[in-house]
Amino acid sequence: MDETVGPSEMIVHLGPQHPMMPGPFRLNAKLRGETVVDSEVEMGWIHKGIEKILESKTYLQGITIVDRICYLAAMTNEEAYVGCVEKLAGIEVPERAQYIRVIMEELSRLQSHLLGMGEYASFVGFVSMFMYTIRDREDVMSLIDSVTGARVTHSFLRYGGVKDDLPEGFKDDVKYVFGNLRKAIDNYEELYRTDAIYKARTKGIGVLTADVAKDLGVSGPPLRATGVAFDIRKDEPYLVYKDLDFKVCTQTDGDVYARIQVRLDEMRESMYIIEQCLDQIPSGPIFPEDTPYGKRSPVMRVPAGEVFHRVEDPRGEMGFYMVSDGSDKPYRVKIRGPVYPTLQTLPPLIKGVTVADIVAIAGSMDTCTSEVDR
Amino acid sequence: MDANSIISSLTGKFPEDIYDADIESDIRIIAKVKPENVVEVCRYLKEDLSFGHLCCEFGADYPDRNEIEVIYVIGSYEHPVVLAMKAILPRDAPEVESVVPVYWNANWYERETYELFGVKYLNHPNLKPLVLPQEMLGEWPLRKDYKGFPNKTAKNLV
Repeated sequence: MDETVGPSEMIVHLGPQHPMMPGPFRLNAKLRGETVVDSEVEMGWIHKGIEKILESKTYLQGITIVDRICYLAAMTNEEAYVGCVEKLAGIEVPERAQYIRVIMEELSRLQSHLLGMGEYASFVGFVSMFMYTIRDREDVMSLIDSVTGARVTHSFLRYGGVKDDLPEGFKDDVKYVFGNLRKAIDNYEELYRTDAIYKARTKGIGVLTADVAKDLGVSGPPLRATGVAFDIRKDEPYLVYKDLDFKVCTQTDGDVYARIQVRLDEMRESMYIIEQCLDQIPSGPIFPEDTPYGKRSPVMRVPAGEVFHRVEDPRGEMGFYMVSDGSDKPYRVKIRGPVYPTLQTLPPLIKGVTVADIVAIAGSMDTCTSEVDR
Repeated sequence: MDANSIISSLTGKFPEDIYDADIESDIRIIAKVKPENVVEVCRYLKEDLSFGHLCCEFGADYPDRNEIEVIYVIGSYEHPVVLAMKAILPRDAPEVESVVPVYWNANWYERETYELFGVKYLNHPNLKPLVLPQEMLGEWPLRKDYKGFPNKTAKNLV
């Protein structure tokens, strides 16, 4: 961005720690009147150095670190990391463990979308909506808690399996929670559909067309809101997703309203997937027998090689590129987070909109700054 | 489109530039590319092989071989094949042409690789630090021989 300011122009700094964005992030917007002429994103306020840290930790210790990339999607981050190690070492995951993983990852998607949607509603002035979604999210968090023993950073996956089996009565708990959640989601949708202010703030705002979104490298709900049915669970199935029946939720408008609608639909699909899993889940081991690595081996050597593994995060495509040199620590890990390209699209997207809409557009991307700033 | 036809199309079009191409599985390819012609190869990938989605771009440091690899992981919205393409640069003067004209979202990845590895991207539109403070430029923290950044902080504390 050109820092020189002409007459009747000014630069407004949004953030760090602006209520519009969870996490330290700064947007410098150059305004003429109330219109954004140019803008620039500043990163690097919480650089955690996760890629560097992973090089000095054993593979098992790495699991607890990757949890902290984005705590809203801890489970999918683990899946991407563990999937890399499994591909490199050639470990087969038993079917029961795969089903448990799918259940946990979809629950994780549910809680992430609930928070993202509620947070967004509060950005455009629906503060009580945030309270409702937090209430419903707590029920989902309790379900996750009952399996993993942790609410936010789970460290639940292991190479080849999962840490624990599902507890007694889990299916009934899920049934009870989902009964309430279905009604709640219908209510949210009804509210969004009928509220004039909400529609005025979201319809036709921040429009991304399919071609532009592809060009900018966007993935996840912002991409699917433009009509591109790109979902890694379908296109490149991992775990047991190829045996499950679900559809990729898309919208055609590509505006803020469509992005929120995609998240609402995806929550319904997630619940459908979990119910199928609970019906189909076979009995059996949750950990492969006769692996050379041992069940919870803290020191495990992974054969040398390079692998790229990607999964569908609540926010889009989460990928890990791992280089192993045959020792017990990864040589190089690159984390390809989904929010990184999404946040990059913010300056072109907010060009020409009014200041009030910056918040609506940035919020609807459901960006997690902590993940960008790893 | 599957991995085999992509590899044969690439090596047929760029016999000099693409070498050591290897198929890991049906949907994963790894190949090396001459750094001088990265942009042409990327343009061909995007326009003719529908590799329209740059997943990421990053560096990896190999001090023993005195090399820095810049790895382009390129996927597609149309088919599930992902290509990991490596450009191998000398470690003392790593320089490569920027692929921003082809893949718009390479911008931040290249800025990040620049400040963490010291890879200089020629003709990049805005090559300045993204995630690190300005005074850490030249430290290249993700290189393997980086000893940490304690000194300046300690000096500031006293």
